[in-house]
Amino acid sequence: MIDTTSPPVALSPGRRVLSSLTANTTLINIVGLLAAIVLLYIVLSTTATGFLNVANQLGLLRQAAIIGITATGMTLVIIAGEIDVSVGPAVALSSVITAEAIMTWGLPTPLAILVTMVIAIGWGSLAGVLRARFRVPSFIATLGLWSMLRGIGQFWTNALPVPLPEDDPIMNVLSGSILGVPTPAWAMIITFLVFGFIARKTAYGRSVFATGGNPAAARLAGINVSRVRIILFATMGLLAAISGVFLAARLGSGNAGAANGLEFDVIAAVVIGGTAMAGGRGSLIGTFLGVLFITLIGNGLVLLGVNSFLQNVIRGAIIVAAVLLNVTLSRRRSAQADD
Amino acid sequence: MSASTEQPEIIAQAIGVTRSYPGVIALDNVDFEVGRGEVRALLGQNGAGKSTLIRLLSGVDVPSSGTILIAGTDLGSEGVHGAADRGVATCYQELSLVADLTVAENFFLGKWPRGRFGIDTKAMATRAAEALASLGATIDPNAITGTLTLAQQQIVEIARALQDDPKLLILDEPTSALASAEVALVLETVRRVAAKGVAVIYVSHRMDEIRQIAASATVMRNGKVVKTLSLGESDTATIIRLMIGTDPENQRPQAVDHEPGPVVLEARELAIPPKVTDVSFQLRAGEILGLAGLLGSGRTELLRAIAGFERLGGGDILVDGETIAPVTPRRMRRAGIAMTPEDRKREGALMNLGIDENIVMSDYRSVSRSGVLSVSLMRDASEALARRLSIKAHDLAQPISTMSGGNQQKAVIARWLHADADILLLDEPTRGVDVEAKAQIYAIMRAVADEGKAVVFVSSELEELPLCCDRVLVLRDGSIQREFVAPHITLSDLLEASMASHSTQEAS
Repeated sequence: MIDTTSPPVALSPGRRVLSSLTANTTLINIVGLLAAIVLLYIVLSTTATGFLNVANQLGLLRQAAIIGITATGMTLVIIAGEIDVSVGPAVALSSVITAEAIMTWGLPTPLAILVTMVIAIGWGSLAGVLRARFRVPSFIATLGLWSMLRGIGQFWTNALPVPLPEDDPIMNVLSGSILGVPTPAWAMIITFLVFGFIARKTAYGRSVFATGGNPAAARLAGINVSRVRIILFATMGLLAAISGVFLAARLGSGNAGAANGLEFDVIAAVVIGGTAMAGGRGSLIGTFLGVLFITLIGNGLVLLGVNSFLQNVIRGAIIVAAVLLNVTLSRRRSAQADD
Repeated sequence: MSASTEQPEIIAQAIGVTRSYPGVIALDNVDFEVGRGEVRALLGQNGAGKSTLIRLLSGVDVPSSGTILIAGTDLGSEGVHGAADRGVATCYQELSLVADLTVAENFFLGKWPRGRFGIDTKAMATRAAEALASLGATIDPNAITGTLTLAQQQIVEIARALQDDPKLLILDEPTSALASAEVALVLETVRRVAAKGVAVIYVSHRMDEIRQIAASATVMRNGKVVKTLSLGESDTATIIRLMIGTDPENQRPQAVDHEPGPVVLEARELAIPPKVTDVSFQLRAGEILGLAGLLGSGRTELLRAIAGFERLGGGDILVDGETIAPVTPRRMRRAGIAMTPEDRKREGALMNLGIDENIVMSDYRSVSRSGVLSVSLMRDASEALARRLSIKAHDLAQPISTMSGGNQQKAVIARWLHADADILLLDEPTRGVDVEAKAQIYAIMRAVADEGKAVVFVSSELEELPLCCDRVLVLRDGSIQREFVAPHITLSDLLEASMASHSTQEAS
């Protein structure tokens, strides 16, 4: 019987308050993450030399942008109960397509960017169709994509960087700053605002929550669950293309081997931000803080001069600990739901 | 047919409707009608045809012959949408709300109102609050649905069904998942719905709540409408007689010809919130103890708690005179308690594994040689049990999913015989199995009991209990209400005790 999803009726007042608090795990998560970020700032500003200087802070934003832009779409993907592990190779291949489109095909830069986006939306939709129409689990569909996209990029370029022209004005803007803030950081902030709006205030966004929370109920209510799923993965393609263009602008080249392991940072940021891997629950604010958290740790470990191999160990441990805390906070509720 | 003197406008009507499925006639030439503003209870045992009638009225299924009229027009084969267009709304037993969305969002699920900037959250909340308030419910439209009580969720579901101004609202056991304290909330809601002029068909087994809410009841049995009667003028005993008919086969008592053994299991004041409040009983070796009660009375929770899968809110469980605390599945298993779950397909049988593996999985050690599974030992053990339980299979290695429900169930029971459990808790072992397999399962239970083990048997089909139990306990309102001992177990007594006793009738 499906009768264990809500707390029992006759709760003591104390437990009722507690359960109403833990029910809104998003809030606790956000407060907790904010505290963790403040703590990191205090610790790093006292221990890591140069952490607080403007150049480092702007660099932080630039690093965050590469994770953040795709993390917005990933939040919706995970809320819908899906996963996309193809982000890294998708970003890398996008940077290659942009560079090749400008250098080899001789397209003007805006058109090259547009072509990149269209192609990336294409492979995203392919993953979406595999999931929605052919019921291939999204982990497998995007794992296949992960391997294929990386392979295509490396085969195409022989794993060599494809240089961009040095005086391309658009690329200079994309790799530079606007009003003193790095352009990719602007793009990230805009993406978060747009996705925050989509998630909370559009029928599509709410359909994503409904699809992840209870697909059967969503279908009964007339929501086109297949369409929702296809759009989700197509969006991931688009966001990977945008990230890829920024990456190419920053590196001055398209690089098929770049963004190695990016998907893990993106997924970790989303989950640290309080989005439930089981679907149905999550927020863009949480993801934003999760992105900052991950970027801060990466930056701090570099500044502290930690051995680069050891950095991976520490980063991994911190990510698992953060997610563990997150899961523990929401356990009361999920325990009731799984029972 | 209707109980009231003046004829209200007829909203829904079935005329000479028959629905047959391969091998079964689920509905046999049924006439039924329900009028504006009327709450009609639909009564009958499991398999009487209530669900089929509901499916036809709501367009999920089409009649083999006969006509369904909704608001005076023939539904034909227009299906769910045709019925919805004519004003039929149905709330099924299982809730279809998204737990992580707000009440207002669930209210407009998939049809969210648009404002100038995306979804108009304010208008959505206001309209949902209005709709809920018109039913007298004070539920915060911005609350996350999963944090509401089940009764509140049920009301949200009813309110949602009402937003398209239906003429007919069908409620299929809306209170079966609720603890009794929550029921009043739902009943009050239904009363308000009817006051608005909506016709309501109310399916429930709880006699007391039916009397509170409905003026008339239609009783069904074996796919036929037996009678539609005024509830004010009929006592419960009459209604129950109509529900079970007078089939002497059903009343055959079980001959008792053995001495009860020592007490092997004792429950003392068990509480399992929210449904079970206070349950005490003893189980003796050599005994088959039936557990009767309506859906939602807490039977499953009780068995799960004894097997260690539910947290106890209070009370003790004693096995062979010794208290087991804290109660964990592992401890209970070691004490010799085994449970077969209600949902065979999802929790009982491992569908992709063979029958043999499904049987021996409860104890791998006895089919292993120095820690390695032995094919021959597994075959011997599973073949012996398959023979003993008359499991019919050419090859015991074939996936259990290819077997009939009865054979699957027998394999799940065999699993615990393989582990040599002393106390078997069987939750609905006869659900969805054919008549022959049912008889075999009764015989298996008896044979196990005769070996000196003990069996607790839960069944929704109450007529099974007099056939095979030595003693039957009736669970209602969170505690054991009555106890019947063979040969004095009769179906009508069981039904009456489960639905509500006379004394509570008069009191209410």
